[in-house]
Amino acid sequence: MSLDIAADLLALLHDTATEPRADPQLEALTLAVAADLPVLLWGEPGIGKTAALTQLAEALELPLTTVIASVHEPSDFSGLPVVGDDPATQGVPMAPPDWAVHLAREGRGLLFLDELSTAPPAVQAALLRLVLERRVGALRLPPGVRIVAAANPRSSAADGWELSPPLANRFVHLQWAHDHEVVVRGLGGTWPRASLPRLDPERLAEAVAFARRAVCGLLAVRPALVHRLPQNEARRGGAWPSPRSWDMALRLVAFATAAGTSREVLSMLVRGTVGDGPGLELLAAMDRMDLPDPETLLADPAGAELPERGDLRQAVLDGVVEAVRKRPEKPRWDAAWTVLGRALESGPPDLVVVPASTLAALRRPDWDVPASIDRLAGAVSLSRQADLAAARVAAGRRG
Amino acid sequence: MTGTPARTLDAEKLFAARLQAARARPYLATALFALHVVESRRVPTMAVDRHWRCYVSPAFVAGIPVEELAGVWVHEVSHLLRDHHGRSDRVAAERGLAGPGERLRMNIAADLEINDDVYGDGLVRPGGAVEPGDLGLPEGELMEDYLRLFRLGPHTQDLAWLDCGSGADGLDRDWDLGPDGAYGLSEQERDAVRFRVAQGITARPGSVPKGWRRWAEEAFHPPQPWRELLGAAVRSAASGPGAGEDYTYGRPARRSAGLPGVVLPSLRRRPPRVAVVVDTSGSVSDAELGSALLEVAAIVRAVGGRRDLVSVVSCDAAARVVQPLCRAEGIALVGGGGTDLRQGFARALRTEPRPDVVVVLTDGQTPWPEARPACRTVVGLFPRERRPSRNEDDPGYVPDRPPDWARVVTIG
Repeated sequence: MSLDIAADLLALLHDTATEPRADPQLEALTLAVAADLPVLLWGEPGIGKTAALTQLAEALELPLTTVIASVHEPSDFSGLPVVGDDPATQGVPMAPPDWAVHLAREGRGLLFLDELSTAPPAVQAALLRLVLERRVGALRLPPGVRIVAAANPRSSAADGWELSPPLANRFVHLQWAHDHEVVVRGLGGTWPRASLPRLDPERLAEAVAFARRAVCGLLAVRPALVHRLPQNEARRGGAWPSPRSWDMALRLVAFATAAGTSREVLSMLVRGTVGDGPGLELLAAMDRMDLPDPETLLADPAGAELPERGDLRQAVLDGVVEAVRKRPEKPRWDAAWTVLGRALESGPPDLVVVPASTLAALRRPDWDVPASIDRLAGAVSLSRQADLAAARVAAGRRG
Repeated sequence: MTGTPARTLDAEKLFAARLQAARARPYLATALFALHVVESRRVPTMAVDRHWRCYVSPAFVAGIPVEELAGVWVHEVSHLLRDHHGRSDRVAAERGLAGPGERLRMNIAADLEINDDVYGDGLVRPGGAVEPGDLGLPEGELMEDYLRLFRLGPHTQDLAWLDCGSGADGLDRDWDLGPDGAYGLSEQERDAVRFRVAQGITARPGSVPKGWRRWAEEAFHPPQPWRELLGAAVRSAASGPGAGEDYTYGRPARRSAGLPGVVLPSLRRRPPRVAVVVDTSGSVSDAELGSALLEVAAIVRAVGGRRDLVSVVSCDAAARVVQPLCRAEGIALVGGGGTDLRQGFARALRTEPRPDVVVVLTDGQTPWPEARPACRTVVGLFPRERRPSRNEDDPGYVPDRPPDWARVVTIG
């Protein structure tokens, strides 16, 4: 067999095309790296973490340096002591390895620390200093260097390394999984090409203001979320909320807003920073920030635009009724009936029943019933049907 | 369905039923209202897709009383809240289950998981709703467990028409509007709705059935198998500094010869020494102990531990036997009666050489040592529903929780 022919065959195999495809994982990774936060990718071996890093390095136009942690010694990261001529006066310098010197000289680059979890504990300890303090021996990595680490989930890691809560709190944790469709299509010759987020220079100030409003708004009403250590064994080693991780979350919200990324991507990032529960609460708070303001609706009830989604619509209607309850005035009460009437015209009637009965209870004796209330007759008969059904259920149970 | 005249959807009835469902189950209201209704003549009854659309057959609505329809609403939204489509896909990939027959089984298993405690208390069970008893199966299991318990056959013949849509079993239907169709919820929106419902349930657990409480606790943190957790705890304790593989400057590395002037550390291996304290009091069953002990032995072996460095102390009121673990299955456990684990700890720590890790397997009905022992401690805890008093003189005696310095993994 001639190697020339083998080379031809290899060339054919390498000849693959790409197609554009949204990749939320890669988008999240790009944003976190752009925000200069240490990222930890959790994923089984062989699912394309390295390929993703290659794509990321290309997108950010940074040279990629991969260091396989498990084949190094701790001194490769903490520096090798080199004994000179006169250690007593000169000291013993801790010499950095060649890749660190290259990175420092270059001034910029993407450092990928692979297989963090299969390295012996002493190596991991040395690596964490590199990730958190950006120091390799006597050398300090320049700010243009971004660091990403990868680890296997502890169930598949042979030596079961896991992060202590203080260390876990310093990372953005991203779960890395393979997309079955992408793999099959890629092996068939077409790999995805993700379009990566770009920050919009026009929106920077607005993004920071939005992020501060979202995070501070939530933490002002939920003080318990500010700091909460992971309680049980199953949540060890993952993200948890603390002032530090909230600061990271705020930064990520600002970056996501400036880049105009989707809530899916932001959800991965925020939940990977402050944990699932607090992350979801932040996202829910941001959803509520998007809802129309009750006072605006009361000021112009005829032009009210209500959200399509039923649960959000009901939240808005409840908000409108609550606003009237806080400052009960006849024109506001009338306006609220108009808003409910619009809700009934444009969506399911059952959502209107509870707000309508609450609003009716707010009536003052000298307030006349507005003409628009006729439009709510449908909701009333609906409510009666539900009452009858409930009565039948109760009777059936007794009988 | 030929010959049935085309009906229009009785929207008022449909929404009256949703209202009744939301009144009977206030904690599900957010989820019920988040569903987007799509009228469809191709669904047999009512079905959901994974994007939280609810497909409704007008003929089905016409033929069912409002109160039963309310039950169907809650049933369908339960499939989505419990992520039955995602779990079906995962179980199909794990167990290699393929084909519409298997997906029908998943739909039935998902229905069983829902139906055993979703009705009653203001909600009627709709006609034809399948319950575990109908197939001779126990109540209170999860969909994944039910899937192992029955096959399709004559007794499931009546269920072949059952179809709760792709939201229940993950198999795409041709009536689905798909991810790009109108009014679908994105993944983040679905999580947000599920989270709000779970929050509502944990906020007032008293009025909520057990099945929903369990769901709310686990909605965003599916329980991990105890084997993995115990493994991670023991491995991390056994590979901490001082044990396992580590670097030392105590001896020059073999690489040093090639690099004059540079001081290189060498790799040193010291296999971890593990002492297992087993609670052999009457309250822990042999089967429980056996499986946990085998697990610990396997984990220790995987970390590089040698058999002769693992010792087992069986402990009831006194610590009795100390013996090296030669074959996990061959250990004679002596005991019965009450427990005092303080004796077991003391005995384990007196072993020579001193252990790096103490693993305790117990049901926790014991006094614990006052002070933290001088080595890492992992507790495998067998949960007990009711805690019968061990102390006959004091019926109100409640055993202490394992202390904070131990890592606790609940087994079973």
